[in-house]
Amino acid sequence: MSRNAKLILLLLVLVGAACAAFVLLRPAGEGTVARITLDGKLVEEIDLSAVTEPYTFTVEGPGGFTNTIEVEPGRIRVREAGCPDQVCVNQGYISDGTVPIVCLPNKLVIEITGGGDSLDAATG
Amino acid sequence: MTPPPAKGARRLTRLALLTAIALTIFLVEAQLPPLTAVPGIKLGLANIVTVYAMFTLGPGDALLILCARVFLGAVFSGQMMTLIYSAAGGLLSWCVLLLLRRLLTREQIWLCSPVAGVFHNLGQLLAAAGVMKTWAVLAYLPYLVPAGILAGLFTGLCAQFLMARLDKLGP
Repeated sequence: MSRNAKLILLLLVLVGAACAAFVLLRPAGEGTVARITLDGKLVEEIDLSAVTEPYTFTVEGPGGFTNTIEVEPGRIRVREAGCPDQVCVNQGYISDGTVPIVCLPNKLVIEITGGGDSLDAATG
Repeated sequence: MTPPPAKGARRLTRLALLTAIALTIFLVEAQLPPLTAVPGIKLGLANIVTVYAMFTLGPGDALLILCARVFLGAVFSGQMMTLIYSAAGGLLSWCVLLLLRRLLTREQIWLCSPVAGVFHNLGQLLAAAGVMKTWAVLAYLPYLVPAGILAGLFTGLCAQFLMARLDKLGP
């Protein structure tokens, strides 16, 4: 193998390992506040630890689609979406800051501020 | 290294054929259920054609095939909104392939594709961050990078084997 190839292979392994280590070893977060933003503007802030009864509400984004958001004690998800791809619905519940729920067509982001420790929460 | 470029009808036919193959792979893959709950993780099998074209036909023709596939893929899958993300990822990985083409040989394509895969994911996330006006989407990067490396390794090996077989057929 040439020098270039070895260098690129080494870089790839390092970057891949760094990302995997980051995902696996990141510290558990305390965050419980869900921030819902539409088109970069904050529309709702919900403290999930203070929620006792599940409820749903609907938001309409600049894309003209609606997202029905379901809030439960400690977790949140998009229950229905008017967009064709349904990526946000398939993602299910999130309960920590590991990854946000993103609806690209509707420019909706639901993120939980704080950190998270496992992917299990995202896969719900 | 690269065979002399085909001209006229021969080139047009080859480009059209490769675009049709890439588009078919893309649309079939789009019908598969998502691999994981993290959005954006997929094999990206259509990139086999992009990588193959980059090393066999050259960067210009690879770009033509890529643009045609990305645009028609969005049209035929009925998701025009994904166009900006596919285009951002595709163009960034094309730029990276352009550079890698000078650094690596035809026998090391399997190594190019993972790098291109990582930059494809990076481009998509940057486009998403721009559209959504938030950096929150970059939280996906640590998941998408290893996934992009693995997916790229797979498509790169496919392109490598494909090229070894096609070289036997002659130009």
